[in-house]
Amino acid sequence: MTDLIPITALGTPGGTQPQRARFGALHLAEDDSMGLASFSLRRGQGAPQAVALPGPGGFLGGFAQGQGIGALWMAPDQWLILGTGQALGDFAAQVAVLLPGGCVTDQTDAWAGIEITSDAGPGPIEALMSKLVNIDLAGFGPGRATRTGLEHMSVFVLRRSESQIAVLGMRSAAASLWHALTTAAARLDHARGTA
Amino acid sequence: MLIPHPLLGPRDAVEFTYLGDASLLARPDGLAEGADAAFHDYVYLRDNPAGVHRELWYHEQGDRSWLVVTRNTVTHEILGAELARDVALAMRGAK
Repeated sequence: MTDLIPITALGTPGGTQPQRARFGALHLAEDDSMGLASFSLRRGQGAPQAVALPGPGGFLGGFAQGQGIGALWMAPDQWLILGTGQALGDFAAQVAVLLPGGCVTDQTDAWAGIEITSDAGPGPIEALMSKLVNIDLAGFGPGRATRTGLEHMSVFVLRRSESQIAVLGMRSAAASLWHALTTAAARLDHARGTA
Repeated sequence: MLIPHPLLGPRDAVEFTYLGDASLLARPDGLAEGADAAFHDYVYLRDNPAGVHRELWYHEQGDRSWLVVTRNTVTHEILGAELARDVALAMRGAK
């Protein structure tokens, strides 16, 4: 059989190691380990009782029931379930057990995830978001997530904490997303350096 | 221009795409008497009011919901927005 080598969405040369970059206080890191699945309710079906799924604009970092499994609201009666470090297993099957009764679709590798962390508090993160996305930051504290446009691409932005966000973009446009984020971060760093 | 999304609050209009008159929700019954004439009117005839207009917008770079937005075509003032699904279900219930 042909030897196949798994590569990450952005990949450093050879594609086997996730991409990373640093601009001043901002660290950007591709996360190739996230398992993703969408969960939607069928018409007339009530929300699952087992776990409390977030409401519109909400994001939950983790459920008590599943280790490292979180969820964000995508649309009415639809959520994106995120599993830290679950990219290699059958994540959709795991979600179907956790949330029985709805429709589960595997989304792992459909999205490229980029984690952005600031080691100088929320300032650099909010400056970067102000530059790139039309999100009202006053209502976008930790535990919020939304889908919006970023340089004409549809992305999810998750506020993990005051000083960390994650951006999920289409895997097929991962390099464009990386270019947009790194260019903006580099310009912010340059502006701060010359101010 | 901001569109007051009923679930997500005010959102920039660039996240939306525009379809047209909200009367498109009232699709005629294709099996009823006079369906040809009803579909001709449904497909080709539109009011073009200078003033308050109800129209369909799609939150493409967002939660992918269809909204019925009430907008004044003269001033561009947005008077309200509701989920098209709720409007359609209410219409079906009213029949």
